[in-house]
Amino acid sequence: MAVVLKLDGVSKSFARVETTDITTALTDVNLEMHSGEFISLVGTSGCGKSTMLRLIAGLIMPTTGRLTVNGEEIHGPDTSRGMMFQQHTLFPWLTVERNIAFADTMRGKAREPASRAEVDRMLKVIGLESFRNDYPAQLSGGMQQRVALARSLISKPDILLLDEPLGALDSFTRMNMQDEILNLWKENRQLVIMVTHDVDEAIYMGTRVFVMEPHPGRINNIIDIDLEYPRNRASSKFVEYRRQILDMLHFGQKVD
Amino acid sequence: MFNKVSSSSPNPTAGRAKLVEDAKSASKLTREQLMELEEREKTPREKLLDTIITICPLFALVLGLAEYLLLPDCNPNPMPHMYTAVLAVLLVLYAARFALAKLQEKKGNKKAIRNLRYKAPLFTVVMLILTLYDYLTIKTNFFTYPLVPCLNSIMYAAFTDRATLIECAGHTLLLMLKGYVLGVVLGLITGITCGYSRKVNYWIDPILKFMGPIPISTWIPIIAVLSASLSGGALFIIVVGVWTAVTNASRAGVANVDKAYFDAAKILGASEAQLIFRVAIPAAMPNIMAGMTQGMMTACTAIMVAEMMGVKGGLGWYITWVKSWALYNNMFASLFIICLIFTLVTKTLNIVKKRVLRWQIGVTK
Repeated sequence: MAVVLKLDGVSKSFARVETTDITTALTDVNLEMHSGEFISLVGTSGCGKSTMLRLIAGLIMPTTGRLTVNGEEIHGPDTSRGMMFQQHTLFPWLTVERNIAFADTMRGKAREPASRAEVDRMLKVIGLESFRNDYPAQLSGGMQQRVALARSLISKPDILLLDEPLGALDSFTRMNMQDEILNLWKENRQLVIMVTHDVDEAIYMGTRVFVMEPHPGRINNIIDIDLEYPRNRASSKFVEYRRQILDMLHFGQKVD
Repeated sequence: MFNKVSSSSPNPTAGRAKLVEDAKSASKLTREQLMELEEREKTPREKLLDTIITICPLFALVLGLAEYLLLPDCNPNPMPHMYTAVLAVLLVLYAARFALAKLQEKKGNKKAIRNLRYKAPLFTVVMLILTLYDYLTIKTNFFTYPLVPCLNSIMYAAFTDRATLIECAGHTLLLMLKGYVLGVVLGLITGITCGYSRKVNYWIDPILKFMGPIPISTWIPIIAVLSASLSGGALFIIVVGVWTAVTNASRAGVANVDKAYFDAAKILGASEAQLIFRVAIPAAMPNIMAGMTQGMMTACTAIMVAEMMGVKGGLGWYITWVKSWALYNNMFASLFIICLIFTLVTKTLNIVKKRVLRWQIGVTK
């Protein structure tokens, strides 16, 4: 389903544990995002990237402002908004297959043939058919993240939230996974919002890059990446985007 | 240079050569074969030593038989051939196992023979200790008769009083299982709700803090005063012991579940109840199982204490009763039976634990 995600004046503050202070994680965010977009969120730590994803997921509620999907306010988590974390968070007591089927199990539909067929299809997509009966601890880091991806895609979410999904992977696995995620996105054209620390990754994957600033967390710049997929990391335009974004993040200013 | 390195080790034996071939052709090796292939090959001397060690239990058994049959008895020993028969059966069983394992080894399956080689030293030493014990009791009277009976007398006592012993064992088992199951169920309910809800924990925690430090045996006099039936009282202390252990363990387990699992499950559409039953409980299972094991130990202690101090039945009662009749043989017999029962119960629990925590293979060492 085509969706429009809107954030109107969204801010989020947290009460600190030890002191009476509060921390403002995100302040006055106004955004509109559409199906088919791939949004990359970059910024230094503490700029509220993860907070924004968790707000959209419905795991936390905003302090002020409204988040709406097609005009309907977000009240809590929903299977139409999938999420993948930096840690795979696969349930270690379930096999690969049953982890992928978890959303269906929650709806009481895991035993239906349609669900089984979909799990089989997902296993094929991530190339782990022969590992279906293994437990997560028996897989490598890349495989675990693939299973986590399959698990979040099984309920066909309209919005896919990726919280540094590739952050814990080695660089080769990471590049492979970037292409895999892009392929899945091109096929389904959902709205993908991905948090990353890696500027190259943000440009390589995103249709738009949101550059965020900390203290308090806010969106500073929005850059449309006007490059054809698959993108060439060494092309001059790519390098120019990188320079531009690093500048916004206040890196590399001293180098001419 | 490189060719030399990659060529296989000099003069592998025929069986090994075949393994190497199999490995090269990338056909599927079994786990056993892989381990064998990667292991250093044993020298003929080591192989001979292995065989000798593996048949040592047979020598020890023969020695035990010889000691028992050839030396004269110092004390009366009714039905003397029970011990003989047991040793003979053990001898035949071990010989049969050894032969079978050797046969399987010839066919290429070394699992059984390895297992036997692993256990042989222990079997041998246990058998030697039994022989020494027999020598020090009935053969030399080093341990005073009748306070320390010989093995045959213990068997004889168990055999003659079997009806009572079986009844007592049944009594003990039934009471213990009742208390254990009740304690575990209650412990799981309170432990999981406490781990999950602060409000419940607020009320249960003081009870746990109060009950926790009280040793099980301390309850006995109080029960004796308050309760009309000591059987019910025994049930109570078992339940209390098991409940405390299981509640503490499962509460800690549920409270320490990684929050990320709850987030992930919520995103995937889990309801509040599903968060408890599909996430919190399975994640806390290692703790819960540990609590259940600890609870089982408490239950074993509790039932014995209760039976020895007042319950009219069960093996604990039997052991104090035969002591007052100076039936030391029977005392020792019931000791062995208690050991046997508790071992069986713990083993069963371990099997359950292994099955439930299958997924932990690879998670923990």
